[in-house]
Amino acid sequence: MAPSGTVVPGQAQVRALPRAWSASAWLSVGGALVVWVALLGPVITLIAHLSWGTFWSSLSAPGALGPLVTSVESGLVTLVILVVCCTPLGYLMARGRLPFPRVWETGVLCSLLLPPLVIGLLLVFMVGPYTWIGSILNWFHQTATNTFLALVIAEVYESAPYYVLGAQAAFAGVEPRLEQQAALLGDPPRRVFRRVTLPLAAPGLAMSLAVAWARAMGAFGAVVIIAYHPTGIPLQIFTTLQETGLPSALPFALVLLVVALPLPLFAYLWSARAGRRRRG
Amino acid sequence: MLDADVEVDRRSFAVRAALSVGAGERVALFGPSGAGKTTVLEAIAGLVPIRRGFVSLGSRSLDGVPPWRRRIGLLRQDPGLFPHLSVRDNLLYGASSDESLAPIAAELGIDGLLGAMPARLSGGQAHRVALGRLLLAHCDALLLDEPYSGLDAGLRRTLTGLVVSLVVERSVPAVLVAHELADAQAFADRLLVLDGGSVVQSGSPSSVVRRPASRRVASLVGYLGFVASDSGVAGVHPERVMAGAHPSRGLVLSGVVSALRPAGAGWEADLRVSDTVVTCRLPEQPPGTEIDVTVLDPPYFGPDGAAISPVSSERSRLDP
Repeated sequence: MAPSGTVVPGQAQVRALPRAWSASAWLSVGGALVVWVALLGPVITLIAHLSWGTFWSSLSAPGALGPLVTSVESGLVTLVILVVCCTPLGYLMARGRLPFPRVWETGVLCSLLLPPLVIGLLLVFMVGPYTWIGSILNWFHQTATNTFLALVIAEVYESAPYYVLGAQAAFAGVEPRLEQQAALLGDPPRRVFRRVTLPLAAPGLAMSLAVAWARAMGAFGAVVIIAYHPTGIPLQIFTTLQETGLPSALPFALVLLVVALPLPLFAYLWSARAGRRRRG
Repeated sequence: MLDADVEVDRRSFAVRAALSVGAGERVALFGPSGAGKTTVLEAIAGLVPIRRGFVSLGSRSLDGVPPWRRRIGLLRQDPGLFPHLSVRDNLLYGASSDESLAPIAAELGIDGLLGAMPARLSGGQAHRVALGRLLLAHCDALLLDEPYSGLDAGLRRTLTGLVVSLVVERSVPAVLVAHELADAQAFADRLLVLDGGSVVQSGSPSSVVRRPASRRVASLVGYLGFVASDSGVAGVHPERVMAGAHPSRGLVLSGVVSALRPAGAGWEADLRVSDTVVTCRLPEQPPGTEIDVTVLDPPYFGPDGAAISPVSSERSRLDP
């Protein structure tokens, strides 16, 4: 042991480092807290201004939960469509296996950048009753305006770009040489996808799907144009706000949050757990 | 027996190579970066399409056979372990049963790591797991694409020795790609020198180094100087030079030491001979600046760069 008063260079450094780290750590934590509180500000405000009496009376009114059921059902159908149709698209875009890849990417980006209200207007001209798609739907006694189908179409258009771009990034993060290695070890392409590609891309896919779910549940711009009926939760909030005022709309806003948030939170926690497991 | 004669299109040139590797034999494809060595391996593994030619393994023709049915193992510099699977699951990835898991893991010294995730492994451990995975998948041929070039020399020697013993023990043909001659020599019975997409020489590692077929091959295998003599242009390999004039042992050069630096256990000198500079390794520091050295049995090259048959009786003496 070094005698008292003796400076041992190694020990002095070791003692100094944690103090410096602590100061920067506290700064980081403080900054993160400010950002977190700022981002959660609207949610905190919502809970602070909510009258629990109004909350229960609003939700217990006859038919009050109908829009919630509609939103959840249309959201789930949207997710199924996204997983089935957009996962392969994201994979092919990530692996550059589509002809004219930049054209595909630009198309997805354009649909991401279009304002939802404009998407709604354009959808009327694309799938409305007087279009050729509308005519085909008519043959099957269906229509793509003011129906459940219209609601799903609007939600798909509002959420698909988020999922496709997220899926593309998730698949691009899987090293192609790992897929080659799996093939050389005897796995045909489908099994390689199931055993290697999909598990490695899964955390990214889950996060993309969670974002798409949140977009679908909160879809309003396109919905208000093409699917005013059947009413989903976002439209219910809007009509309640217009007809009976802000306090009456707040309970439905809370319901929307409670329904829309668990899936993204679960996806985040699952992704983090998968990352921890890979790091051993 | 692995037989291949493949021609593969690349952006700037076509790669053409023919090789035949017997059971338990080890062949090294040696050449500079960009010569097309990896392309040849990928063509054999079925990862890149071939323009013409064939690949066969034993009695099986592999023409049109996809990679997952070839039973050819490929080890790269990146061990390519699946990060979401434990070491045990990685080892068993291509295995039909787990019977051989314990003995192979013990043989490779990774039996204590079976529960670990790949992210926790050191470079050497990861390479052992990758090798074990190929052994458990019962590959009929082994391809190695500079697998250990990122590791330190000691570990590289250990792993190369391990692969050599396993290849011999299991009698599988093995092909190594290397751009370091020492790696190729440590591994192979036979060397194929690939340059610009073509095999320019093949033979045992020592014969290729002692008797390069051309000046180009000579410079690839380490000849750092070429001096004109009566018998042609002599290639000077720094490690095949001895101090003093010994005309019976080779070509005697008299020159002026223009630079001297320590190298390993001895010295490396740049010697100016006529208008050229040759580099040579000497066990002792030269006593003065004007010295005689003997290039041991050097290869000679004609004006076209091709090797001239060895000249044993006639020796030349060159003065500065």
